[in-house]
Amino acid sequence: MVDITKLRDIAKEVISRDDVRQVIGYRPGTYGFRARPAFVLEPADADELIFSPACINNLATYIVIEEKLPVPRGQEPDSRKVAVMVKGCDSRAIIQQLEEKAYDRDHVLVLGIPCEGVVDMDKVNARFPNVDKGDIALEGDKFVISFNGTKEEVAKDELLADKCKRCRYPTPLVSDEMLGDEVERFADDDFSDVEVLEKKSRDEKWAYWEEKFSRCARCYACRNACPMCYCEDCVLTRLEPMWMRRSVDISENTAYHIARAYHLAGRCIQCGACEQACPMDIPLMDLNRKFYKDVRELFDYEPGTDAEQPPLLSTFSVDDREDFIL
Amino acid sequence: MAVKKLSKDKVGEALKELMKFRLVAPAKSDDVVIFKQISDPAEAYLDYGNSAVPPKKMVFPQTETLFRFVTGEPELKEKNVEEEGQTVIFGMRPCDARAMSIVDKLFDWDFDDPYYQKRRAMTTYVGMACTEPPSVNCFCTSVGGSPFSTEGLDVMLTDMGDYYAVQALNEKGEKLTETIASQLEDGGDEKKIEEMAAAAAGKIKRSIKTDGISEKIPTLWDSDVWKKVSASCLGCGTCTFLCPTCHCFDIQDEVEEMGEGRRCRMWDSCMFSEYTLHASGHNPRPSRKERTRNRVSHKYSYFPSKFDDIACVGCGRCINMCPVNIDILDILEQVVEA
Repeated sequence: MVDITKLRDIAKEVISRDDVRQVIGYRPGTYGFRARPAFVLEPADADELIFSPACINNLATYIVIEEKLPVPRGQEPDSRKVAVMVKGCDSRAIIQQLEEKAYDRDHVLVLGIPCEGVVDMDKVNARFPNVDKGDIALEGDKFVISFNGTKEEVAKDELLADKCKRCRYPTPLVSDEMLGDEVERFADDDFSDVEVLEKKSRDEKWAYWEEKFSRCARCYACRNACPMCYCEDCVLTRLEPMWMRRSVDISENTAYHIARAYHLAGRCIQCGACEQACPMDIPLMDLNRKFYKDVRELFDYEPGTDAEQPPLLSTFSVDDREDFIL
Repeated sequence: MAVKKLSKDKVGEALKELMKFRLVAPAKSDDVVIFKQISDPAEAYLDYGNSAVPPKKMVFPQTETLFRFVTGEPELKEKNVEEEGQTVIFGMRPCDARAMSIVDKLFDWDFDDPYYQKRRAMTTYVGMACTEPPSVNCFCTSVGGSPFSTEGLDVMLTDMGDYYAVQALNEKGEKLTETIASQLEDGGDEKKIEEMAAAAAGKIKRSIKTDGISEKIPTLWDSDVWKKVSASCLGCGTCTFLCPTCHCFDIQDEVEEMGEGRRCRMWDSCMFSEYTLHASGHNPRPSRKERTRNRVSHKYSYFPSKFDDIACVGCGRCINMCPVNIDILDILEQVVEA
């Protein structure tokens, strides 16, 4: 459990430091059960910070999407740190970003949040539709949902996000300050969901994906929400040369998703931000988890677990398996 | 025209009769509701909240061919929109229909867009009144609409329990109801519909005062408010691509094998960094701050100053679907206070 008072006090302390530019955390959302990212620029802003099972966003994305605007003549670029709150899964994004040298370790101040799981907002909304304002708390093995003066308890499993059901790293793997006590691992990942898909025939697989990719609106929410998609010039939207057409049809949509999945092979840290962001409910983690499983089996490699290990695609060992090469 | 009744057990037959046109209706793709052409009445999913992508895409497709060409040859083969045939969009929400009359103004403005206008003329809009607000973030009543608004519609359906009340709203609508006349009965209760309309409007939970917003926004050009409200923006196109009034497009040539190709237009989003990127590399809207300012300004200031209508119908999609809970009502509140 994270003590909110302590969380706010630490945030205040951190933002008061001369070498910190902002603290990125969570604050209550504008409707329903949602929470949203908060950007603390001065101590008073920290008073609205929260942490709850509604804090579903991976804030590590914000470290890498900030535009690098030209600095006016005579001014120095702001080199102060960005402090960011991360759950266990989110912390792996920072490790992977560090592994890829996206920025220096000094650039970030990591505030770790040991996490017992967050909700799948779609499941919450389906269960409690059209609630204008409500709260979610985790008490033991139950989510306590309160709204309009009522309180309901729901078994944790029923509303828990899928990624949390297989979480192996509830406590952040990197942090400068931990905002709560370590959470013991409460789940495991046997990749049985991937095996179900692997067993489908080629035609069945295509039928499955054709339905999903057909409805893709190409809004790029999956890419933009992804903490590992931070190329300044993305191959998927590059205009010259145009590797990927902007046409929205089953062919280009399929190419888009396959290309994105390939670019995340050995890099995806399983935070599920893509799938969560998708307005069309495309199960993007099915793709990412297949790659994740393959990489793990072939190279005994897990992205985002060790900032000292080199990125998978920049390593070569003569012992690398090559039986999958045609 | 008197209100007719379409018994729910005759909806299937009515839809079958409408299939002599290109019939578009809400349907399910897994658990997502989308508008698409249906070929079987069973595909229609009429007991829905609202679709993820607005039915606007049937008249203004996300990608459409303007003409085909062969490199080096002067003849162009222009797209013949008429080939698509008469279209009926069945069961669209009143906000999405109002949105079409807003989008009409743009495509009917300084240039008569032939692709849009032809398709628009060939399309009949059959609405489905919102007896219950489809989402907690509906705010149509704040921006000139209502759950039973008929603006932009040709026919309105109202769910009365075991039947739909059918109202033809204009000549086009009457023509359409004639097509399904054999399925209709007399005796729709107009008074009941009016009562339901008032009750439905009362169920809308969210609102915004729009007085003076259109004039205020341009005065905030350099305000800190934009930095604040855009801080969490991911720069994706969810808010714009799912918006029933957004209408920006890009035009690109796609060359296929052997020099054959097509010129097509596709939706574009002012939230994308490439949207305003100049060939020189300069970008006048270099960050999410300027892009967010543009999205809000266009809807609530530029568009109303040109066309008298706010380019937002309060469907709530941009709020519901934003991955990081950016909320246009929250932005507007801050704008009012700024």
